[in-house]
Amino acid sequence: MSSQSQATPLGSLKPLGVGILGAGPVTQAIHLPSLARLRDILEVRHIMDVDASVAESVAARVGATHSTSLDALLGDPDVDIVAICSPHQFHADQVIAACRAGKKAVLCEKPFAMSGEEAARISAVSEETGVPIIVGAMHTFDPGWLAAEANWGDLPRTAHTIRSSIVLPPNARFEDFATEIITRPAGGTPDYNDVEVIKNALRGGIMGLAIHDLPLVRRFTPDFEDLEVLQARHVRPFGYVISLRAGNQIIELRAAMNSTWKPEWVFEAISDDAALRIDFTPSYVQAGSAVATVTTGTTSTTFGPYEHNGYEGEWRELAQLARGTKQPPSAESLINDLTFALSIADATVDVAAAEFAGARS
Amino acid sequence: MSAQYTVTATREAEASGAVGLAIASLPASFGPAATGDDATVAAIDGTSGWTTEAIRAIDGGASGVVVVNPVPENTAALRDAAETARAAVVLDQRWASNPGLAGAEDAVRSVAGRAAMLDTVATAAAGTDPERLLTEHLAAVVRVTGQLDALRVLRRGSHGYTASARLANGAPVSLQGVLSDSRPAGVDFRLYTDDGGVSIAVPEPLAAWPAEVRAIGPQGEILLPTIYESAHRTTWRRLKEHLDAGTTSSDLAGFARLTESIAHLS
Repeated sequence: MSSQSQATPLGSLKPLGVGILGAGPVTQAIHLPSLARLRDILEVRHIMDVDASVAESVAARVGATHSTSLDALLGDPDVDIVAICSPHQFHADQVIAACRAGKKAVLCEKPFAMSGEEAARISAVSEETGVPIIVGAMHTFDPGWLAAEANWGDLPRTAHTIRSSIVLPPNARFEDFATEIITRPAGGTPDYNDVEVIKNALRGGIMGLAIHDLPLVRRFTPDFEDLEVLQARHVRPFGYVISLRAGNQIIELRAAMNSTWKPEWVFEAISDDAALRIDFTPSYVQAGSAVATVTTGTTSTTFGPYEHNGYEGEWRELAQLARGTKQPPSAESLINDLTFALSIADATVDVAAAEFAGARS
Repeated sequence: MSAQYTVTATREAEASGAVGLAIASLPASFGPAATGDDATVAAIDGTSGWTTEAIRAIDGGASGVVVVNPVPENTAALRDAAETARAAVVLDQRWASNPGLAGAEDAVRSVAGRAAMLDTVATAAAGTDPERLLTEHLAAVVRVTGQLDALRVLRRGSHGYTASARLANGAPVSLQGVLSDSRPAGVDFRLYTDDGGVSIAVPEPLAAWPAEVRAIGPQGEILLPTIYESAHRTTWRRLKEHLDAGTTSSDLAGFARLTESIAHLS
């Protein structure tokens, strides 16, 4: 997706204006604290939420305008960059509307669409309008990941095993370390005897949690379209055990969200004679970057930790895109990331249903 | 003080089990047999045919046998021979014999009913036989978890394997084998519960690297006492206890269950 702006150095200009669609916990506990660290280049100017009191309260924290409508935010001339943090089903239409409104750059929280068709529509509009779009796959902007990328050599071609393991407490634990949250979505008590509950939990796990690292996995999976699900199992209360084969690569995805205090977020790529391990910091808190270790033979080199995390990294990238000082990611790459995630989600729920039936027989 | 028990070891057992080093670290208990003398203890390698070789050693008068890294094999005849001769047969298993696993068993048992998932990865050098790796991996896993339900191999190949199973409470188990020269060889266990769990890292028995067993709960993380003793030396200490007490070992019975599990996978 291309940029239409003239190149200008960062830091020498008036901060760019940011408008945020959706003022839920992610906006409150992730984006606003990240933007607070970047006041010299970015300024929150408009907060939109369908709940007027939430919009007003969150906007007041940063001295921004508030509204309850997409059109009001997109029509605000002080908004240069639009961040889409609304529920998944609204993403595609809101990205397209932001592009058509002539904004300078768009950040869309993952997933940026819920189907390949939606992704193609977004791509076409971005191409037509020249508005750069990035998807909030924050780990791809983490300085630890970027340092690893610069040093991992031919590992993406030679890796035979890729692992992503995520262990997290409930979001509220880290949200409360990051800010003072108003309004949280209500939790439910799922019926694990209902296969539809299991299927929805698996799909939600992939499109809501695994998707954070699927763009990383895809970097090491050249044959990502040749996908086979070896196992897909639900972990209570929320998590998964998923094993995949993509071409010649084996992909192992693990997640457990429980009441632990101890987060672990690890990505690994392993070949016969090299290995990459990245330990990411938890979301929400400003705990710096991941630490990456690249091992060749028996010699290891460690990169990081650096001072900022991937969320701040994506905002820095957005500022550069809006200024025209950096090229945006290709539309094909974003679409492939989405297609990969959707393929895994679709295939996984079918296998999970069969596993569920087998476990009960 | 001279050694109580004399030892002979095959060249293969010496190579795989570091027999000389292990008995040198227990000099009051074990010592090499003089050339031509019958030894109290025979150390053999666990390659195919090890049960026959162990029976031969018992028939030759050995009252103790150490088997290093045994491959799955029918142990019924050996168990009979050991029982009849009151000989102790102990298994020196790559990871399952690590002394840190005794504490790990207790830590796992105390939370097993609340287990949500067990994710375990065994790593060995590129070129390792994945079938053998799976045996060694599974031996270590069942030592701390007990028998697994619904064990099956999902895939295996030159780079490793993935197997699945269930714990007694139905929680999913994933066993993965990875072959690489750039990842430390060993076994990593992660048992997750509703509020923490147990993590276990078992190193190679090449040195006295300790297993690290950590119990995680609401109160924090506890590192169980580290034991700087290799799996090899631990095995020889266990053998001495059996020889001193005149007891036989339960190792073969446990290995028979492992062999049966492996056989069902094939």
